[in-house]
Amino acid sequence: MSARFDMPVVGPALQVQFPDIAREMLPNGLRVWAVPLPVLPIVTILLIVPRGSADDPADRAGLASVTADMLDEGAGTRDAIELAAAFGRMGTHLEIETRADATFFSMTVLSRFLEPSLALLADIVRQPRLAPADFDRVRELRLSRLRQLRQLAASVADRAYVSAIFGDHPYGHGSLGTTGSVEGISLDDVRTFWARQFGPGGVTLIVSGATTTSDVVHAASVAFDAWDTAPEPRPDDAAWTLPPPADPRILLVDRPGAPQSELRVGHVGPPRSTPDFHALITMNAALGGQFTSRINRRLREEKGLTYGARTSFDLRRVAGSFTCETSVQADATAQAVADILAELEAIRGAAVLTTAELEQAKASLTRGYVRNFETSAQIARATAQLAVHGLPDDTFDRFVPEVDALTAADVHDVAVRALSPAEATVVVVGDRALVGDSLAALGRVVAPVTVDL
Amino acid sequence: MRIDVAKVTLANGLDVLVHEDHRVPLAAVSLWYHVGSKNERPGLTGLAHLFEHLMFEGAEHQPSGFFQPLQEAGASLNGSTSPDRTNYWELVPKSALRLALWMEADRMGWLLPALSQSRFETQRGVVLNERRQNYENRPYGLAQFALMDALYPDTHPYQWPTIGRPADLMAATLDDVRAFFARYYHPGNASLAVAGDVDTREVVDLATELFGDIPAGPPVPPVVVPPVSRVARRLQLEDRVELPRLYLAWISPALFAPDDAALDMVADLVGNGRTSRLYRRLVHDRRVAVELAAAQGSRELDGLFQIVASAAPGYSLDEVEAAIYDEIDRFVDEGPTAEEVAREHAQAEATFVMRLQSLGGFGGKADQINAYNVHRGVPDSFDADLGRYLNTTGADLAAAAGRWLVRERATALAVVPHGRGDLVIAGADRTPVRVF
Repeated sequence: MSARFDMPVVGPALQVQFPDIAREMLPNGLRVWAVPLPVLPIVTILLIVPRGSADDPADRAGLASVTADMLDEGAGTRDAIELAAAFGRMGTHLEIETRADATFFSMTVLSRFLEPSLALLADIVRQPRLAPADFDRVRELRLSRLRQLRQLAASVADRAYVSAIFGDHPYGHGSLGTTGSVEGISLDDVRTFWARQFGPGGVTLIVSGATTTSDVVHAASVAFDAWDTAPEPRPDDAAWTLPPPADPRILLVDRPGAPQSELRVGHVGPPRSTPDFHALITMNAALGGQFTSRINRRLREEKGLTYGARTSFDLRRVAGSFTCETSVQADATAQAVADILAELEAIRGAAVLTTAELEQAKASLTRGYVRNFETSAQIARATAQLAVHGLPDDTFDRFVPEVDALTAADVHDVAVRALSPAEATVVVVGDRALVGDSLAALGRVVAPVTVDL
Repeated sequence: MRIDVAKVTLANGLDVLVHEDHRVPLAAVSLWYHVGSKNERPGLTGLAHLFEHLMFEGAEHQPSGFFQPLQEAGASLNGSTSPDRTNYWELVPKSALRLALWMEADRMGWLLPALSQSRFETQRGVVLNERRQNYENRPYGLAQFALMDALYPDTHPYQWPTIGRPADLMAATLDDVRAFFARYYHPGNASLAVAGDVDTREVVDLATELFGDIPAGPPVPPVVVPPVSRVARRLQLEDRVELPRLYLAWISPALFAPDDAALDMVADLVGNGRTSRLYRRLVHDRRVAVELAAAQGSRELDGLFQIVASAAPGYSLDEVEAAIYDEIDRFVDEGPTAEEVAREHAQAEATFVMRLQSLGGFGGKADQINAYNVHRGVPDSFDADLGRYLNTTGADLAAAAGRWLVRERATALAVVPHGRGDLVIAGADRTPVRVF
């Protein structure tokens, strides 16, 4: 056979050097991080308020995100539509995302609009109107959205799963809240939450792209210097306790007539600060993080039972989770659950990663790492991780060498410690009449549950 | 806005497009085959998409499959099938460019020797599960199928869903797949784009070396398009949903045809986002609707303009529909304001710049260059495309809306919860729509 048909060889992983972050602080304590990049004439703006759905009061699930929704419903001199139009005239729109640990305000704009964009953003976080008519509409829209999600199997499964593994922990509810909790939220709750949680101290403004540090600092100063409120100190998360591991169980949410079952399998896991970070990512790549990983290969490529199956570690500030998620054809539900649990057991003992699997996982992560830093938005998101989790500046530069240095023992060790199939919670959203008996035959307690959405 | 693209057509008909961008050490490969579900026939629907799946199962010289060598090389990769075309892409560190091209060439030239009955059957199972996950088990997931079936006659290339009908997928054979490959997967029906930290000369040489010995295939005959009736139809579908939803659909201009860009802007101004007229009226002021979207879906043979709105609890789809027509009439009569036109022009400018950020993936530069080459024959059509938007005036927008968004030609579909036929639109045909 000629060389024509020999597979080409590729080069070693490129060392990633994350761009320098220029850090400044406004007199009011707001952190301004500029990341100038030699790119197109655009900038990504990302403002991080370090409060999120984990800060929802216990009886007001969804308050952080309802508050976030209210902020751009009118601020400063503009009502909701005038605000949207002002962004629209610059060819952009603002995205607001409430996550467990923080709330993100982001947009990408042509560089020449940096100053007016920041001015609008400052109005939104600093001078929201929080008016009654807007609140009624926002709450109504939220209730309708929650109602719509009841028919979305993936949302139902996520909700059941998060409540099951985190229990009463601040991570144990969805950021949108539930119909019941949102009905209990008043405009006063929103005003109080905003007043207590929003202030310049602890907020980070990241601007990446075609700009200079001095332009960023100047524009930030013009927009935010007048912000002088002082939020309450961040709550003491040392008091947040995780529920004890549950008995192995299968929570079954009935969805009559469903042609597929939506599955979640997993348990709580470590926070982003874990020293196991690189070993976890590498082990996960081989287990279920990639197309060729074990679980997708088994369920999709060998058996054709699903469009795809994946595993991931959601590494949050205080704790995290490990989850396998997939949607499988209804008649294969119990088989898929058994296969997933078997794969979690296997990688811990009976069938540890082969040298080839480990090297493939490492190579794909290290060689592919450079792809994560192409656009201004990617750079801003990466920088945000440093802000949210308090990570050192060389976090990204260290990734390739740290993964390269992992041994088979490191990865096996982390699989044993970080995966607990015997304690895993299984959530099934599917047709109970069709799948109930076969699930019961797996030898775990099958508990029918309903989901609060 | 100029993007330098070198275009070379190899002797076997393969278009090779190269764009240099040295900002990051990446190379994006995009390969378009000008075949989609429009090239199928009734009884064998879903074949183009099922075939896309088989392209990832490995070719003759890829014993470990298509994904594994590329993932190990640090690639991200994927593919997609539309009614018009099938595209494949890899985004790789630049040292893996040769591998990515070699892998694509191997499956263009040597796929069939690796194709087995068991791979075929497994991927057919995967596709049936993709259909269940994305359409059958998803609220409103069958609405587009019902609309296409209602808008087009049975033999029209856009009448069936790209994912295919289960009965057709089950009836398809390995021989059908082989014949499909021979007819459509060859250099003369393909366009290869490479963008990134590459050298144009080297890429052309590499493409010539790796793809040049793949034989040219038979010319692809144009699809036959039967006439489409434009009589209004009013339909209902019961589904596993909470809120009733209205779909209004009009056959509209094809991609790059006159009025295509204008209707894209009309969709924005009438029904997209908070600044749109319908949002202000239906969601913000009167609160009769809770979800709203509008789009001009441009395709090769014709387009489809749609407005979609869900009624707020306690309100009827008839109220929503009446308000939509009120706003369309007002838009046609009075035209957009100067402020609205200026906003659309600003959006167009910003969107075109932002579209240049990513080299690869769906919608990345390599993909866009291929789209322009396949649909217009000119890979750098960025300026011409942007010009379509910037040169459109308020009067053009009103005229386009008046020409196309005619009530008598709209097909309306109401999707309502099971057992709630009382929530459908007035005048709906009570015969259940076909969903298959």
